[in-house]
Amino acid sequence: MDSDEEDFVFYGTPIQREEDVTSRKKKSIAEAAGQLRSVVPWKQEVLDDEGRRRFHGAFTGGFSAGYYNTVGSKEGWTPQTFTSSRKNRAEVKSQSILNFLDDDEKAEIEGQSLGTSLQFDTFGFTSAELARKQAEKEQQDRPSAIPGLVPDELILPVANSIGVKLLRKMGWRHGQSIKDSRTNSLYGALREARKAFLAFSSGDAEPILSQFELNKGDHEGDVEPSADGDVYASQSTPVFVLNPKQDMHGLGYDPFKHAPEFRERKRLRVSGNREPGNRRGSSMKENLFSSKSGKIAPGFGIGALEELDTEDEDIYASGFDFEETHVQEIEEPSRMLLEDKKKLGKTEQGVLPGFKVASTSDYQLERCGPPVIPDDFEPYHKFSAPLEIGNKLSGPPPPEVPPPEENDLRLLIEGFAALVARCGKLFEDLSREKNKKNPLFSFLDGGKGHDYYARKLWEEQQKRNDQTKQQVYIKSMPNEQKMTAESRGKILGERPLERSSKDSSSSVVSADVIQLQFNLSDTFTTPASISEFPEAAKPFKADPEKQERFERFLKEKYYGGLRTTHSGGSSKMSEADRAREKLDFEAAAEAIQKGGGHGKLTELPSNQQFWASLNTQFTSGGVEQGKIPQGEEQMINKMYPKREEYQWRPSSLLCKRFDIIDPYMGKPPPLPRAKSRIDSLIFTPDFVKPTKSEETAVASTGSLFVSKSEEPVITEQKTSQETAIEPNTTNVERPVDLYKAIFSDDSDDEGESSTFNHVEDTEKKTEVANTTLNRLIAGDFLESLGKELGLEVPPEAPITINKVGISASPKETISTSADVKIPSVSDKPSSTPIAFSKPLADQEAPNCNLSHPEIIGERASDRNELKEAAARDFGNNSLVIASKGKKTKTHSRRDQSGRSPEDERSTRGSRHHRSLSSTSSEEDETTRKRSRRHRSRSSSSDTDSDDHGYRKHSRKSGKRSSSRGKSGSSSSKKHSKHRSRKEESPNRSFRRGSGKEEHSEDRKRSRKSSEREKDYSASKSDSHKKYR
Amino acid sequence: MSSSELPTKEANVLRGHEGAVLAARDNSKLSSCGGDRQVFYWDVSTGRVIRKFRGHDSEVNAVKFNEYSSVVVSAGYDQSVRAWDCRSHSTEPIQIIDTFTDSVMSICLTKTEIIAGCVDGTVRTFDIRLGREISDNLGQPVNCISMSNDGNCILASCLDSTLRLLDRTSGELLQEYKGHTCKSYKMDCCLTNTDAHVIGGSEDGFIYFWDLVDASVISSSRAHASVWVFVTIPEVVNYNGYLHMSHF
Repeated sequence: MDSDEEDFVFYGTPIQREEDVTSRKKKSIAEAAGQLRSVVPWKQEVLDDEGRRRFHGAFTGGFSAGYYNTVGSKEGWTPQTFTSSRKNRAEVKSQSILNFLDDDEKAEIEGQSLGTSLQFDTFGFTSAELARKQAEKEQQDRPSAIPGLVPDELILPVANSIGVKLLRKMGWRHGQSIKDSRTNSLYGALREARKAFLAFSSGDAEPILSQFELNKGDHEGDVEPSADGDVYASQSTPVFVLNPKQDMHGLGYDPFKHAPEFRERKRLRVSGNREPGNRRGSSMKENLFSSKSGKIAPGFGIGALEELDTEDEDIYASGFDFEETHVQEIEEPSRMLLEDKKKLGKTEQGVLPGFKVASTSDYQLERCGPPVIPDDFEPYHKFSAPLEIGNKLSGPPPPEVPPPEENDLRLLIEGFAALVARCGKLFEDLSREKNKKNPLFSFLDGGKGHDYYARKLWEEQQKRNDQTKQQVYIKSMPNEQKMTAESRGKILGERPLERSSKDSSSSVVSADVIQLQFNLSDTFTTPASISEFPEAAKPFKADPEKQERFERFLKEKYYGGLRTTHSGGSSKMSEADRAREKLDFEAAAEAIQKGGGHGKLTELPSNQQFWASLNTQFTSGGVEQGKIPQGEEQMINKMYPKREEYQWRPSSLLCKRFDIIDPYMGKPPPLPRAKSRIDSLIFTPDFVKPTKSEETAVASTGSLFVSKSEEPVITEQKTSQETAIEPNTTNVERPVDLYKAIFSDDSDDEGESSTFNHVEDTEKKTEVANTTLNRLIAGDFLESLGKELGLEVPPEAPITINKVGISASPKETISTSADVKIPSVSDKPSSTPIAFSKPLADQEAPNCNLSHPEIIGERASDRNELKEAAARDFGNNSLVIASKGKKTKTHSRRDQSGRSPEDERSTRGSRHHRSLSSTSSEEDETTRKRSRRHRSRSSSSDTDSDDHGYRKHSRKSGKRSSSRGKSGSSSSKKHSKHRSRKEESPNRSFRRGSGKEEHSEDRKRSRKSSEREKDYSASKSDSHKKYR
Repeated sequence: MSSSELPTKEANVLRGHEGAVLAARDNSKLSSCGGDRQVFYWDVSTGRVIRKFRGHDSEVNAVKFNEYSSVVVSAGYDQSVRAWDCRSHSTEPIQIIDTFTDSVMSICLTKTEIIAGCVDGTVRTFDIRLGREISDNLGQPVNCISMSNDGNCILASCLDSTLRLLDRTSGELLQEYKGHTCKSYKMDCCLTNTDAHVIGGSEDGFIYFWDLVDASVISSSRAHASVWVFVTIPEVVNYNGYLHMSHF
């Protein structure tokens, strides 16, 4: 075997043996094969072709731990998420295909794209760019004398492109054409041409020539060591030769810029001049010119001695020949060209190559002048206006002529004249034409009656002209019909716009408001201008002090405003003096005013100034009508424009159509609510601590005046206690208190039984004091309220009634039985027993203040909500009641006092309440419903029924007859009850317009006053008890 | 705008109105109004009335499209401004603004505002975005308003023969232009494209040009044999050459 083996000769590389495959792989394959055969399927392992396990148990990572089946990232195919926050702005990612390609793919793609490599930089751009960059780099390294990059930008290192290099290597030189077209036949001509060229270009084209020769030198040196050694660059590709600036024009100045036609001529001339023969033969003039030409400085014009007739050819222009030759060389045979040139030079200048000048030229340049404008041309568009008034009118009117004798003729003439006047001269011409033969119309041609006709026509035209009442715009529109705005309006059926009546009246109407504003402004601003009355308005010049007062007076007179405290005179003056002075002032003011009326307008300027100044502060203002009669117009002007702003609700659809977000987000507008002062009052917080007033009242032993005098104290306390809450002034607060006192919940005093024991002798007194206080304040308030609401305020009820009532009340309580009966008689028997059955303690000390009902009654009547029917009812009731018991006296008395209507309802209401509180019967329910509206009133009724003593507990039903007013015996418990009783709240809200606020306020108030109240009510009930 | 702004060649006669016709044009639609108390919404190409908006109680004085031509706003003698929907098929007004106390003569629309000039002397701006109505009382009946091209000013032609230039933001009176006659009829006024001049018509048939700033009458030219009504300045700059006017 060995020997055998040695005999073998091995060629190539041996084929890899089976063993060389990785053992693992082999093993895996083998295993797989074996397993497949032997092992049960669920025990087989899946391996990849490398022999690695692919499936793992759940505990070892599940399927293919690692990123094997993912994209190779942990996230795998998880979609991208976009997050962008204010601080972390998401970048705008622009994805390209490269983001998704693998490296190899990228490489592949790159292989497809074309790029230049430096190696084959045919045109040298890349190398130039590179060179420039290199230079820049170097520039940075070494400091330059000239800062910046300028020199480097200007001066670029030159790198020859590969193409040039190649050509060079192949023997090409700059300026040569690439094809080898040199033919000997041309050589002679070339040489000749060159010589000629050299000869005639020695003058102005010399520098170029020299440059050119440089080029040529190149050729000679490098390329043409050949026979002639004299190769003209005739066949070379044009070399871009910079034309050195040889003339003395400014940079970029082109003398032919606006006269390009001369450029050609010049070019030809110059080229012609270069022809030696021509040059010699050029006229003396030209010689003169050319000799001078070098000396003529551009921009200095042409001197008097210099010739002008040769046009202003550009003698400085140069280099044309070169360009020319190049161009023609491209086009081909330069020889031809040169020969042509020679010819040209001999023949004539200004002929294009290849053309011959015609022997006879009948062409003449003809200038076309502007068209002749006819004399009668008018550069306006004439609307077909028939009238010729203007022309006629411009002339003197024809003399008055008596009409012709013939009536017919006269009529005809007149009619015709009118017609012509209406229809225009054209008509006259037409009819003249038409009626040439008609003797009747001879007047048109100057025949009989012509004068009359002329006159008539003139008159007619005049008449028409007058009708229009317009100035004739003779010059531009001599013939036009005048149409007035009115006539147009008639035609269009337009109505003349009339000034809105409101316009004028608005200032009057709003005068009050304005006045208000004005007053405000007056109090806060001192119009300086007022003091500067013109001399004429100073009737009291002698006495400056008086004058000052007078001015003040004037100011107040004219502008209203709050009177200053010392109005009308200095403090030194007596009352009588003051009065007299005032009279004086009145008279003086009147005089001044009249004077102004006569045209002096003496106080006007100051007025205006004043108004102007006012205007700047208040955007809307007004004029006090009548007081400032003169200059009102101006003043109005000064006042306007005034700006007002309102809320306006665009409909949501409108917003949508305008592509705007609805400012109100589609919320419906709030229910229109009458804004009265009450609203604002309700919001003003609370309330005197009643104890205080009570105390003071006690101290004052109940006299009216004393109680009144306590008010300041009260308000003070209020303010001190609640400054934080109350932004309002004290005088505003007062009514608030009152209001609340009157209308706030009073209701049942359940808790008062606890204070039952406390008895106070002074109770009555405090009661009286309280009531009077309340009454007074309430009277005040209600009166103002009534005024504001525009209602009549009934006269105050006699106080005595109160007193009687009050004093009576305790007694009345005695007559409980009667009390109870009354309701039963009047309405609801069912309710009363229940009410009665309530524990005494619950029933609460009643009716301390009879005055309250009255107040309420007053208010109610103010509000006018009562109907006559109710009043009637009440009358009946009261009658019944009167028949029933003593207490009825007070009742009836109250009736007399005129606050009755409420009472009726209130009695009913109270009944309802009673029934309600007593878990009333169904009929009660219904009545309650019916009376719900009046429930608020019924509260007052409660107070009425206070008299009826024990009904009080019924009031717990939420009727807080405010009866206690300030002393208002509302307890917190009471209020909690109210709160729980939802059904009541609407009523209350009705009563006040805004129940919620009231409610909360009640609560507040009640909290504060509860203590005192307890005492109070306790004492009351106590007293009742006693009586009983 | 006037109907005269339509192509000079009569491409289509839109019939249907009685009384005065004013039209506001966008590219393909056109709306007109007139004494017949209706606002017509036309399709220009076919010449058909797409919709008729009825609801004004009296003649309609002015009509305008909004920015997107989705709403036609009309102003009427009935003291109201009504916005009509062009998008839906409803012929009910989107909104009626009736805070005016007299005939509304002229309206301007911006992107977010409706501005109306009223004979009660007010120029009212209804800002849809803010939900505010701003009323500038000029004290004189306003018969035409026109907005400056920069949108900052309003030119109001008042019946006391005065054009008033108002600053829109503050409501200030910037300038008054006098000299022409405008006492009882609607006279158009406008500003040139450069806002350099104010142009106003006069009842005697003159057109007056005032300098915007110093209010001097630069020129007044006899434009029409009759009383002229409308001035519209096209987008092209040279107003002298391109004044469009209609006349009788």
